[in-house]
Amino acid sequence: MRYLTPISIAEIICLIAAITIMWKDKNAFGKVITCYLAIALVTEEIAAYLAIRGIHNLWLFNIYIIFEISTILYGLYHCIRRYTNPKSIFIIGLGIIVLTYIFFLITQPFTNLNTITISVMSVIFTLYCLYYYYLLLKDENFIEIKTHAEFWWVTGVLFFYFGSTMSNIFDGLFKVRLMGFITLKFLIYILLNVILYSFWLYSFICRMKQQKLHS
Amino acid sequence: MQNETTKIAFLVAIATLVFLLVPAFLILYIRSYNRHKKNHFLEKQNMQQKFESEMLQTRVEVQDQTMQSIATELHDNVGQLLSLTTLTLNSVNLDDGEKAKKKIDNSLSLVNKSIKELRELAKLLHGEQLVENGIGHAIHQEINWLNKAGTYELKVNNQLVDVQVTSPDKDLIILRLLQEIINNIIKHAQAKHIQIDSYLEKNALHLKVTDNGVGFDPNEIKAKKSGMGLNSIYKRIEMINGELALNSAPGEGTSISIEIPYP
Repeated sequence: MRYLTPISIAEIICLIAAITIMWKDKNAFGKVITCYLAIALVTEEIAAYLAIRGIHNLWLFNIYIIFEISTILYGLYHCIRRYTNPKSIFIIGLGIIVLTYIFFLITQPFTNLNTITISVMSVIFTLYCLYYYYLLLKDENFIEIKTHAEFWWVTGVLFFYFGSTMSNIFDGLFKVRLMGFITLKFLIYILLNVILYSFWLYSFICRMKQQKLHS
Repeated sequence: MQNETTKIAFLVAIATLVFLLVPAFLILYIRSYNRHKKNHFLEKQNMQQKFESEMLQTRVEVQDQTMQSIATELHDNVGQLLSLTTLTLNSVNLDDGEKAKKKIDNSLSLVNKSIKELRELAKLLHGEQLVENGIGHAIHQEINWLNKAGTYELKVNNQLVDVQVTSPDKDLIILRLLQEIINNIIKHAQAKHIQIDSYLEKNALHLKVTDNGVGFDPNEIKAKKSGMGLNSIYKRIEMINGELALNSAPGEGTSISIEIPYP
């Protein structure tokens, strides 16, 4: 049963939607997101397998966050570039994250979870999301929010990374077990993941509606 | 220690919930702002459509006015001249050479006059072109026609003829406004004297038409909401962000001053 957590179920649903809707999208964004969801699901399942076997699995997440950083940064870049040329601010953000990652590699063993990079990237992603909203509000044209795929994708990212800020900051300071192997942190992550994948799923549905409209 | 950890865990759980509520409120704010933006956009679009339809109507009215002038001119002027020519030519007696020559000369002069009148008419046919040459020329042409009737003593100070700046959409509306004002004078004022002043000052076009007619009580007209085309004048002025000052009293003539941002 530990292979099938609420997170992995949400990931499977989202991945199926991405394969059927986003993969056939003309721009690279759809394919990148689909690949990322596949990597996230595979990582989740391998981590579960290792955990069941009693093998340490935090190193796997340290590799996984490289894909996470690349994909989310690319996604946000894709959304923001509609309004402005964000190359410089994305290079700065990427630079900060890479430096943090190198700092972690130097100061800590790879078997520890790279919480410092996770915290820094969460803050940077949140700032980019807020910047996207700022550009959206500043733009003289209005959007149909209900069916705007990019808006809901960014909203999912904001909920996940802004919501996880407290858990990231206090990581390691609270290990309250609620029942069996389920800790409060795990519960918070289930909630955040479900929110993230729900928004993304809705965003894919919006994209499907757009595709139908254009075809 | 366990108690402390539980406390932190509780705080983290609460803080996470708060951190989730913030984006939720942010989304609500964006949604509401976007809706306002959408309403504003639609309103603007609506106003633009209204403006365009008003422009079209004005264009039709200007054309209509031109056609009426042509019809009147053909009937009252060219038609009369040609009838007179026919009559003169019919009465020519070829046996009486001297008289016949005089009559033929008269007929020739009448035909020449007719040709001149027709040329003037041809100019008027290009109503749109009239405005294309600038509002100054359009006003000048309009005043010429009024002058030809000979019914009014005109005093004109048109300083717009040499003005280089133009605004085709506004020009058409201004011309139509002047036509409407002159029509009102012809129909209702029973005036003998009309004074027309037009000039450009500080990016504003000024047009003032004064008559010594019977005048009226503006308040009464506004209350009646009938208003001799006045409503139409007010509506058009509003459309081009202009201002209108109306001074009139029974027995004391009327003065209409218009100020329009220009170009």
